[in-house]
Amino acid sequence: MPLLRKAALSLFVWIVVLLVSFPLIWMVITSVKPQTELFRIPPTWLPETVTFEHYWTLLSETPFLLYFRNSVILSTATTIFVVALATLGAYSLVRFRYRGRETLAMLVLFTYLLPSVVLIIPLYLMMVSLGLSNTLISLVLAYTTFALPYALWLMRSFMEGVPPDLEAAAMVDGASRMGAFRDIIFPQLLPGIISTALFTFILAWNEYLYALVLVNSDSSRPLTTGVMSMLISAFNIEWSLLMAASVMMSVPLIIIFAFLQSYLTSGFGGGAVKG
Amino acid sequence: MADIELRNVRKAFINFVALEDLNLRIEDGEFVALLGPSGCGKSTTLRMLAGLEFPTDGEIRIGGKVVNDVAPGKRDIAMVFQSYALYPHMTVAQNIAYPLKKRGVDKAERDRKVERAAALLHLEPLLSRKPKQLSGGQQQRVALGRALVREPEVFLLDEPLSNLDAKLRSYMRIELIELHRQLGKTMVYVTHDQLEAMTMAHRIAVMNGGKLQQFDTPDAIYNRPANLFVADFIGTPSMNLMEGSLSGSNFTVGGQSVTIDRSRLKPETTDGAAVLGVRPEDIMLGDGTIDAVVELVENTGHEKIVALAVKGCDRILARAPSGSAITVGEAVKIGFDQTKTHLFEKDGEGRRLNLDQDHNSLP
Amino acid sequence: MPNRPNQTTLERQYARLGILLIAPTVVVFSAVIVYPLLAAIYLSLFSIYTPTLQGEFVGIDNYVKLLSGKLFWQSLGVTLTWTVGTLTLQVIFGVAMALLLNRSFWFRSLARSLVLFPYFLSTVVAVLVWRWLFNDLYGALNHILMRVGVIDMPLDWLGSMPNAMIGIILVGAWKYFPFVVIAVLARLQTIPEHLYEAAKIDGAGPIARFFDVTLPQLRSVLTVIILLRAIWDFKEFDLIYLLTGGGPVTSTQTLALLVYKEAFSLNQMGQAAAYAVAMMLVMLVFMVVYIRRTGTKET
Repeated sequence: MPLLRKAALSLFVWIVVLLVSFPLIWMVITSVKPQTELFRIPPTWLPETVTFEHYWTLLSETPFLLYFRNSVILSTATTIFVVALATLGAYSLVRFRYRGRETLAMLVLFTYLLPSVVLIIPLYLMMVSLGLSNTLISLVLAYTTFALPYALWLMRSFMEGVPPDLEAAAMVDGASRMGAFRDIIFPQLLPGIISTALFTFILAWNEYLYALVLVNSDSSRPLTTGVMSMLISAFNIEWSLLMAASVMMSVPLIIIFAFLQSYLTSGFGGGAVKG
Repeated sequence: MADIELRNVRKAFINFVALEDLNLRIEDGEFVALLGPSGCGKSTTLRMLAGLEFPTDGEIRIGGKVVNDVAPGKRDIAMVFQSYALYPHMTVAQNIAYPLKKRGVDKAERDRKVERAAALLHLEPLLSRKPKQLSGGQQQRVALGRALVREPEVFLLDEPLSNLDAKLRSYMRIELIELHRQLGKTMVYVTHDQLEAMTMAHRIAVMNGGKLQQFDTPDAIYNRPANLFVADFIGTPSMNLMEGSLSGSNFTVGGQSVTIDRSRLKPETTDGAAVLGVRPEDIMLGDGTIDAVVELVENTGHEKIVALAVKGCDRILARAPSGSAITVGEAVKIGFDQTKTHLFEKDGEGRRLNLDQDHNSLP
Repeated sequence: MPNRPNQTTLERQYARLGILLIAPTVVVFSAVIVYPLLAAIYLSLFSIYTPTLQGEFVGIDNYVKLLSGKLFWQSLGVTLTWTVGTLTLQVIFGVAMALLLNRSFWFRSLARSLVLFPYFLSTVVAVLVWRWLFNDLYGALNHILMRVGVIDMPLDWLGSMPNAMIGIILVGAWKYFPFVVIAVLARLQTIPEHLYEAAKIDGAGPIARFFDVTLPQLRSVLTVIILLRAIWDFKEFDLIYLLTGGGPVTSTQTLALLVYKEAFSLNQMGQAAAYAVAMMLVMLVFMVVYIRRTGTKET
């Protein structure tokens, strides 16, 4: 392609890309503007003074760090729990023969599409009667309802990508079934496991509805509901504070994007969209 | 000692039967090929010998012992897969050492054996590479090495050469024959390539539709095919098969008759519809009673394949020396070498109707 | 010869191991999904007051009320409007963006990352950002639109109709179109180049090439994307709840919001469960189509 045409195309695509990303750029810009500059009409497109005071306020004067900690614990626990179950489950669904296997696979696909609001009322009642309301455990269990079908579905297609001959060869070579899984399949599955873990983590990190219904105390509130409740409880909506919170909430995501993005795209190829 | 025996083995999957009542006995040290088109049950048979599939019915014995309930790793077998199934995350050395490791062989012994296998297969310079960094032929040799290293009594090979190019394939055929001679172990070799089966195996089990069609030496399979399927499947170009009817010593095809040596047929053979089979090399051009027209001549260099139109049957192929002068459109008389014609039932299983004791292959 | 068991011990052992491996999943599945699902259907036959959790059996009363009342039908209408609106934008914009990103230009992978980002972003963050953009006094959106001359007065984006509906549809499209981009982009990369070369030789221009080569190749992946996104958009809760809360009044109250409100604001759990079950039944149509499509592909 001639250089000029490529330059023109690049310019055009980048204008579109920047338009799409504008809300995010605006979020970052707002978060570093001083309070006084925020309510200027017309708004300043680039901050005249850059300040990190909102970040500092957020960390020192609000329960943000507590919410952050809760979100980390919650998402990590959900991810470990769900991915462990899904890895073994997918191995079983793909490589073993027993009655009800197909039905189970269909059920997984069905629940993968099920709306959360259908389950939320009985789950709420269940957590109350188990005395688990307002705990992180109740949220881990609730998150399992959408994360497990999702992870199982994803792991299933990753599992299907591991050649059955490898397992057969390991068994002929003297490994037991679980030995073959540990020595041969697991290393092959690892990229898929990482991809699934990242998706699960992001799903849990971003979840809102269950957190809204099941947890009502600051001590176990995750970031999503925590940040929103700061918005609601404040007299004045503290936009700069909220934008700073939004940026910090997205930090794990930015890290994943910067270093592990290929796993996300492979997850898409694997199971999120099949067709 | 590792002879193999399958007794009344049946394998049914949910919606189809892969194998029906298979009986097969493979002697210790023998090289047997399982040959057939895809879906004929040959791979299923091999996988059952390996313990990767389970017979629905029947008994499998290796070295006289029933192994139906024995895990693959405990059967004293090694297997080479069509896909090679090399462990991608392990180096060549680790791949070859894996079966030893699983058997609790200590490190020093392992290294020694890996080295020896590598030397045998010229793999020494590749030992620290990953499978991905190897060519197809090299991967194939690693797969062989992994099978050799633990010195099993039985080798199972599932189309091991089908992913190689033609030149490498013929080279590896010789290597495998040589290897078998050196080791003297039982080998079962699955292939859909008759050339591989014919050149390598002591005996060939021809399979089709989950049934064993014939189990015999390459020579017998070629010269005395047990039924229409084997007759048609073995040989390139394949045997000419002509439907017609038998009456006394005459076989009539499309109004023209040839004489059949009735004494070469089974005494219970009755007159009526039958199929006459003649291999292309047993057709005599310009020497016979049947009218034919030359439709096509293919010169392969060392011979000519002549396609002939004969009334009442499919196109007939004949071999002719490369120097022979044959022109397309020419009318010729053809005849069949009487001692080498084959007669089959038209209906049922298409069984061979010739008596075979008096039909010896030429020395 | 003695009667042989149909299965070898080894085969049975494997089947047992398979069941053992799936068992934890089945237990968890039953406890947190199957049981609540059945419980939801059961609860929909009761009238339950949320704070006390006391209630009585009312049979199909909740369903009678649902069918005869206005709320369910209105919410269904809102849900369909939202789904069709946002899905259309997602697909059009997603395919267009994928085509752009499939071309070769400078810093392509960075551009791809930036475009994908909103999809992985927390809905809470997306909503906060957009609410700030939509802010009637200080919001950037009104200013840009006024500067460009599209409007002369700041618009009340989320507090009036039809702006509120347009608002949620827009934000939904922005947040979810990257899904279409990723899926379509992956498919585009597998279209063999020789198809385009053949079309070029046959004299097809860029537009003809898109309709005759690209689009037919994308058809199957687009069907799956549209089905999946339709299901997911239909059940969307967070985005709409956080942007408008269903308002003004009930103009953007989708079925998911209706269920939530009935259960936790109006405290009518039984009625809410009935709404949820009805919503699921509507979705079942799409789900069955999707499952059959995917299911047949597996085997």
